[in-house]
Amino acid sequence: MTSLELANVSVRARGKALLQDVSLRLQQGEFVALLGPNGAGKTTLLRAALGLLPAEGSVLLDGRPVREMPGRERAAKLAWLPQQSTAAEPITVLEQVTAARFRFHETHHAAEAGAKKALEAAGAAQFAARHVNELSGGEAQRVAVAGMIAQETPLLLLDEPANHLDPAQQIELYRLIARLWREGRGVLCITHDVNMLRFVDESAVRVVGMAEGRVRFECEYGAPELAGHVGDLFNVGIEIVQAGADRLLVPSGRPA
Amino acid sequence: MKTRVLLLCLLSAAVVAGSPWLGRSLEGDTGRFILENLRIPRVLMAVLVGGTLSLVGACYQTIFANPLAAPSTVGTTAGATLGALVAVVAAPALGISLGNGLPMIAALAFVGALLVSLAIAAIAARGKARVNDILLAGIAISLAAAAISTGLQFSADQVQLYAAIQWTLGHLPQVGYRGVVMLLPFVAICWVVLLSQTRALQTLLGGEERAHSQGVNVPWLRSLVLGVGALGVGACVAWCGPIAFIGLIVPHMVRMGVGASRRVMLPMSVVLGAGFLAACDTLARLIVVGRELPVGVVTSAIGAPLLVWLVVRQRTGQ
Repeated sequence: MTSLELANVSVRARGKALLQDVSLRLQQGEFVALLGPNGAGKTTLLRAALGLLPAEGSVLLDGRPVREMPGRERAAKLAWLPQQSTAAEPITVLEQVTAARFRFHETHHAAEAGAKKALEAAGAAQFAARHVNELSGGEAQRVAVAGMIAQETPLLLLDEPANHLDPAQQIELYRLIARLWREGRGVLCITHDVNMLRFVDESAVRVVGMAEGRVRFECEYGAPELAGHVGDLFNVGIEIVQAGADRLLVPSGRPA
Repeated sequence: MKTRVLLLCLLSAAVVAGSPWLGRSLEGDTGRFILENLRIPRVLMAVLVGGTLSLVGACYQTIFANPLAAPSTVGTTAGATLGALVAVVAAPALGISLGNGLPMIAALAFVGALLVSLAIAAIAARGKARVNDILLAGIAISLAAAAISTGLQFSADQVQLYAAIQWTLGHLPQVGYRGVVMLLPFVAICWVVLLSQTRALQTLLGGEERAHSQGVNVPWLRSLVLGVGALGVGACVAWCGPIAFIGLIVPHMVRMGVGASRRVMLPMSVVLGAGFLAACDTLARLIVVGRELPVGVVTSAIGAPLLVWLVVRQRTGQ
């Protein structure tokens, strides 16, 4: 079973500590939500996990230091959905998703077939022939998820996947992520909206709170102490509101 | 799109095949000599040089994610020019014989291109280097090399200055197949290695960090493209001088004609680059009756306005 393990990881840039002594573990089949205010170090943590940054401590992927792994081997275990997808040149959606299968040693025909399957799984097959720079925010994010699916990895790292999406698109996207998780993948997902996790399977989600480069708390999504933790993390009062079957954490506007 | 690819291939092939037959009529033994030993090798040089400069330009534009990246903007051409001027101006002053001229110029131009590109490749290989830093380093090195080249020209005598200026304008005249044979291995390595990286370059279009997460070793890819690009461009510039605009404009033309997918764009840059330079060289040969223009003058005269037109057309989405 594939696992990602960060142990006592610290990252510094220009004398400033971006991450301090962070430990976190993600295993195949787990869903970990990473929560925290802007500048908490969440994205830095994901970048360190991918081997994009030099970090103190250890970042191990299946027990091996991630920065020492060959690119294709790492990309076979770990896929990443960045906060923003760049579309520098007008290639088609199908070409972009096909390119995401770089890690496979396969013919172009096989790569394209894999990309088509991934686009279908992400509900983006209808965009295949369109150019990536002509997509709306929601469509582009769906295509980016398709690229991640095309990589066929057991672990997924998602950086605020619902950023810039309208509420309907956010719900749709979280349902898609939940499906990927239920298929057996491990998911580490940065989010600003803890309530979106109810579209996954709240009982299974582990929430990790970060602030100022450190892990502040870790608990189950359904734990009663979550509201207090979230309030402390963002320094706002949180009220628990029952909306039908859903339990929502709503900022009250009062200080924590 | 397949139709467009086919049409562009046919157009380039027609230009390349037709070029030797254009111009003064070829009759008798002299005519045959001109065709076989002057015009055909010259067109073959255009194919090798045009294809290489365009392919390297398309690859540079991909690794730098910048449409202005080309052998001329990342220092490769400036390094070659400096090397050649050292051979033309400094070598005689130091009492070093140039032999029959060309090999020494070619060798030093090649060394200049290689040194500059390897310096840029070394910067690019550092994981921390950002794309714009590398491009800026290339531009800085180009400017420094251009300043030294100007200094060398200033200190040259009239004969040396004429030779230097003639070389820096770019030219394809050949007698026989020596140039083609000498250039072929460098060009072949360049084409094979760069075209073998098509998948990695296509993946890089999604952004550097994304490509890293998808398995591409980005610093290694950049260094490989810069190193092999220097080998190809260095060899071409060494033999023919710096031929302007090909590496910059042909990838733009290909992108507009057949799209930005590197699977099509890279091989088509070779095809169209070959045809474009062959066409420019034929014009250079025919445009002034009784004498030839350096091909670099023609590529600049066509390339500069064409580039502006393409950019405006792209911006206005027409």
